[in-house]
Amino acid sequence: MERRDIQSPQGETARILVEFLEVAISSIVFLKGVYPAGAFERRRYMNVVVQRARHPQLRDYIHSAVSALLPFIQKGLVERVAVIFFDIDCIPVERFVFKLTVNQSYGSKLEEADLEFSLRSFLIKLSVSESLTRVLPHDCRWEITAYFRSLPQASTSKDAELWIPSDTRLWQQPPLLTPIKSMNSEPLCVQLYLEHPSSCEPKP
Amino acid sequence: MSLDLSRSANSSGSQRSKRGFNNNNNSTSSNRSSNSNDSNKKKKVSQKTLGVAWGANSISSSRSSSFRKSPFSDFGSYMVEKNRKLQNQFDVEASASSHSDSGSGKPIFHGVSIFVDGFTVPSSQELRGYMLKHGGRLENYFSRRRVTHIICSNLPDSKIKNLRSFSGGLPVVKPMWILDSVAANKLLSWVPYQLDQLANNQPKLSAFFALKSSPQSQDALPCAPVCPGNPEAEDSSFKGGTSVDASFSDVGEPVEHSGLISGESNNLMNKNSNVSLLEEPASSCGKPSEVTMTKPSNFDVEDESSVRNELQSSHYQPSALVSSNFMDIHNMKGSPSSTVGGPSNQHHSTLEDPNFVENYFKNSRLHFIGTWRNRYRKRFPSFSNGFKFTSSNTKASAPKTAVIHVDMDCFFVSVVIRSHPEMQDKPVAVCHSDNPKGTAEISSANYPARDYGVRAGMFVRDAKALCPHLVIFPYNFEAYEEVADQFYNILHKHCNKVQAVSCDEAFLDVTDTDTEGDPQLLASTIRKEILETTGCTASAGIAENMLMARLATRTAKPDGQCCIPPERADDYLSQLPIKALPGIGHVLEEKLKKQNVWTCGQLRMISKDSLQKDFGTKTGEMLWNYSRGVDNRLVGVIQESKSIGAEVNWGVRFKDVKDCQNFLSNLCKEVSLRLQGCGVKGRTFTLKIKKRRKDAEEPAKYMGCGECENLSHSTTVPVATDDVEVLQRISKQLFGTFHLDVKEIRGLGLQVSRLESADNSKQAFERNSLKSWLISASASTKELWSNDSTAKDRFNIGQGDGVSGQTCANSVGLSIEMDNNMSDSEACLNQVSELPPLCHLDMGVLESLPPELFSELNEIYGRKLVDLIAKNKGKSVSISGSSSTHSHARVEGAMNEGQAVLLFDPVLHNEIPVEKKHISEEVPAVLVSGAESYSVAIPASCLEKTDLMPSSLSQVDVTVLQQLPEELKADILEVLPAHRRQDVSSNVLSEVPLESKGIKTTENHSGSKDSVLDNNLWAGTPPQWVDKFKVSNCLILNILAEMYYEAGSTGNLSPILQRAISVPKHQLDASQDGWDEAAHILRELLKQYIKLKIEFDIEEIYVCFCLLKRFAMKSELFLHVYTDVFPYLQASFGENYGGNLHISLKD
Repeated sequence: MERRDIQSPQGETARILVEFLEVAISSIVFLKGVYPAGAFERRRYMNVVVQRARHPQLRDYIHSAVSALLPFIQKGLVERVAVIFFDIDCIPVERFVFKLTVNQSYGSKLEEADLEFSLRSFLIKLSVSESLTRVLPHDCRWEITAYFRSLPQASTSKDAELWIPSDTRLWQQPPLLTPIKSMNSEPLCVQLYLEHPSSCEPKP
Repeated sequence: MSLDLSRSANSSGSQRSKRGFNNNNNSTSSNRSSNSNDSNKKKKVSQKTLGVAWGANSISSSRSSSFRKSPFSDFGSYMVEKNRKLQNQFDVEASASSHSDSGSGKPIFHGVSIFVDGFTVPSSQELRGYMLKHGGRLENYFSRRRVTHIICSNLPDSKIKNLRSFSGGLPVVKPMWILDSVAANKLLSWVPYQLDQLANNQPKLSAFFALKSSPQSQDALPCAPVCPGNPEAEDSSFKGGTSVDASFSDVGEPVEHSGLISGESNNLMNKNSNVSLLEEPASSCGKPSEVTMTKPSNFDVEDESSVRNELQSSHYQPSALVSSNFMDIHNMKGSPSSTVGGPSNQHHSTLEDPNFVENYFKNSRLHFIGTWRNRYRKRFPSFSNGFKFTSSNTKASAPKTAVIHVDMDCFFVSVVIRSHPEMQDKPVAVCHSDNPKGTAEISSANYPARDYGVRAGMFVRDAKALCPHLVIFPYNFEAYEEVADQFYNILHKHCNKVQAVSCDEAFLDVTDTDTEGDPQLLASTIRKEILETTGCTASAGIAENMLMARLATRTAKPDGQCCIPPERADDYLSQLPIKALPGIGHVLEEKLKKQNVWTCGQLRMISKDSLQKDFGTKTGEMLWNYSRGVDNRLVGVIQESKSIGAEVNWGVRFKDVKDCQNFLSNLCKEVSLRLQGCGVKGRTFTLKIKKRRKDAEEPAKYMGCGECENLSHSTTVPVATDDVEVLQRISKQLFGTFHLDVKEIRGLGLQVSRLESADNSKQAFERNSLKSWLISASASTKELWSNDSTAKDRFNIGQGDGVSGQTCANSVGLSIEMDNNMSDSEACLNQVSELPPLCHLDMGVLESLPPELFSELNEIYGRKLVDLIAKNKGKSVSISGSSSTHSHARVEGAMNEGQAVLLFDPVLHNEIPVEKKHISEEVPAVLVSGAESYSVAIPASCLEKTDLMPSSLSQVDVTVLQQLPEELKADILEVLPAHRRQDVSSNVLSEVPLESKGIKTTENHSGSKDSVLDNNLWAGTPPQWVDKFKVSNCLILNILAEMYYEAGSTGNLSPILQRAISVPKHQLDASQDGWDEAAHILRELLKQYIKLKIEFDIEEIYVCFCLLKRFAMKSELFLHVYTDVFPYLQASFGENYGGNLHISLKD
């Protein structure tokens, strides 16, 4: 019987996307070797091997950061989600940027399998794209930053409070982009690319 | 995975879905052998089956134990078995019950098989009992094949949204249907019992198949004239949108019978037959989706019912699911004949009307009242200015004042019935519509009706329940204006200090008016005069200030007058309920009642301070003053309006963003007109949106807004404006900030505040004139631009003044649809202000015109049309030919009609191949739902539009252009010839929408083949470039085209380049002669590819350019191309991602 309540496609898309982001961000952090390899454990997601943080705080940080984005992704407010690695002076060294476009007027039922197929390719590509990235300086830090299309109203949800304005410094020159993976399907477009400071970026 | 299994286990199709899921896994997991996977699957499945079978067993174990024994191979066969069992049980019980009391149980539900969904009253068990008794069936599990009706009392929102998938097109009916049918002892039509939530969209289903099945069912079941229970018919007709379309022509025949379906045929059925009758002409031209347009020309339907019909018929469109696309400005597109066809009753069709906004306000009472003041001020400017000074003087000198408040009695009703004396003492109400559904709101009721309890704001159906013989009249705005003018003429005659409150209500300050001293006498004179002149009664209140005068009128009504001298004011007030005081609404009343304040006398007990503390300084003071009858306002002080705007929250339903944008620009037009009407400009713009609340159902008021969230954004610009284009741009921006699903929008409003008086609107004029200068310079018809302003007026004010007005409106509609760009359409507007030259007429449209219209047009053109058509036919030229003709003709500057006809011949030979190809290929991409027969008109109007400025861009310096302000640049770019624009725009504005570019280039035919640059290399499958490359004489291009097919036609460039990388080096640079051409077309190809992919697939671009870079190392040609395109690539990246693409070679 077709009694099962069908969620709105946006909600469904956002849910899948958030889940994916959590996994992908974990993979990125693993890839960059910010933490010792022992801090991660092998897990399977969408039938590919991914790394998951073992440390509860790290896991919670990633989890709560992306889940707090859920309502905004659902409304299509989030334009980009970046994983930024920066040095002691808070100057970014490398940024992994997820550019998101969720079709807000997509009405029909979502084919989860199709989305998964495309999203999986991100995870596969990520695991082999270490050569594209740069070696990080010794004591670097990282953060997750979301770029909104417009500022959300303060009272939209209490989840919003988890997100604070970022004080990471920006590059003064337009960065160099290296695309890693793109998917363009209905109702979701995701592009993952790397941003590096351009060669003419003034050194501090 | 296990979750999915258990979830889908209930559905009879679970077998398939399981297999599908597992297959998916197989195909994607590469490292597992399919063998082990298979066995794996089997194991899992059998486990699952056991589990569920056990669960089911426990339910039915008391009845039968056969389940335990039967070896179910899987869940599907288990369900089949279970269903069979349940049916058997049902059959046994049914025969038992019909034997036991065969006297009462007439098999009225024969052939009806219901499925009960969710909680119902009576319960599904009781319903089952009824079905048992009366020969029907009840299915425990939903099945499209067996179930004929779904019974439920309430549906969750998700099911309403996905009604089709939930119900499979079956009727969803309230349980009352069963009960009433049993009570009536015959099968009633289910139509009136359909679920309220679906009332707006269900008729579309019922409309079709009730008609279709009725002839059959009349034979089969004489006792049930409208029998919906015909599952076959439903199934076949609702399988998909297209099959519905196809069967439309069949309906044509049964339609005649539909009028005969008597007996049960109710309102809805009548409506339905209406719909299908209307559809007849449309189905004959084989395009059901265009039905909505031809309709109004045939039928003079009452307003709202036509709205309904529209709604229903538009649901036949395959694309329209549940959302009602009532507000279909969108439908207007591509249908020149709809407006041409129905000029006589334009005002009836609110929806296919492109000017919905305009007509909406034309029919709005609130709008009438709201804008009446401007009218009044224009009519009596001297009065409103003149007495302000004197009033302040006299105020100081005369201590005792006298104010008369005059108010017409139930103005909106009495004006309408003044010409119906027989209705004088019958209950009458005024309402915008009197359809049987009764969901329109009464706006005003007369006193006899009020005695029955009929009030303004009531639904008509409620009012009719209170007072069955209530007569409903529609508005008559002309009469209102006339009477209001007469009313004020009288007032101004007797008194020079008049403050207009509304069209039917005013204050007079008669303190120093020498009318023998008695204001009472004056009031009765005025009232008598009003009655004699207008035929309507008025009441008057006389007191020393405005508050008391108003309160006195309250006592005086109806048709009386009352004087409250100052000494009696206290007594009068002490018993007055607080609600009667102006300024006290529901909220304030509730608050006061909580403090146990019911009358003004009680209000007076409260100190001013505590009032101010509780209700705020102003309100507190007002309460304190009013309760003492103190009112310091002076008669005649008219407040300047602080903001001007327009808001529509009735009938707003959008199908897509384009609808919404259209609507928005029309709203802007309206607001701009209002601003201009008031002679002001504004700086702050607020866009208000009513968004359907998430859990809100379809509102009870027909097409109303229901429960909504109110959202608003505003912005302030530095220079005040009333310009339509600016308004449109701002509102579009504002709208963009909402990020809303347009389907959720129930109301839109634009408000302009921070008003400044327009200083002769100089700036606007400058802008317009620059543009018209540009156009006039290019247009060979010089008289056109001088008509600019008149054309605009005509478009805005009269749609019905003759055929030229119509055509004008048409092409505007079309061009708006082309790219939603107002300035474009204005360019177009400028052009069509005059009767279009003969050579501009579109043969396709001409030929499909109704004969009367054609003959009229023919008259206008001096009977040249017939010749033209004959000529056209004789040569059997396609319509596209004629459109290319006139565009060419214009370029040549040949405006002479005769010449144009002469030109016809040679031009055709030159242009048609090119032109035809474009039209056939471009139009489907651009038009969303336009019918083919109309599509021709679009390129035509587009052609006219951009050919206005022939090749004058060569004189324009690009750098200068870049320095220009954004708006000017846009204007200039708009009137540029297309082939140049592309170059410029890549420098200046690289975001010209792809489609519009594609179209614009179609009219670019300056002769030489090189400059005919096709801008749509990537359109179609295979993309156009493939064909181009194939026929090229350059080897590498041929190779690339070949690779396209080899690479599997994915439409992506990278696989092609990947393959081409293995091409030997000497082939890459092959022929020097075709070098330029090859480089040029490759550049173009890449640029267009970048544009196509930049937003969503930079990975692909990245891969392509990495490959290209490798080509560039081997080949001069590619190096050339690469270095040329690279800056463009980086600019695109910079614009979209704020960075530069970093291309590194890893080998």
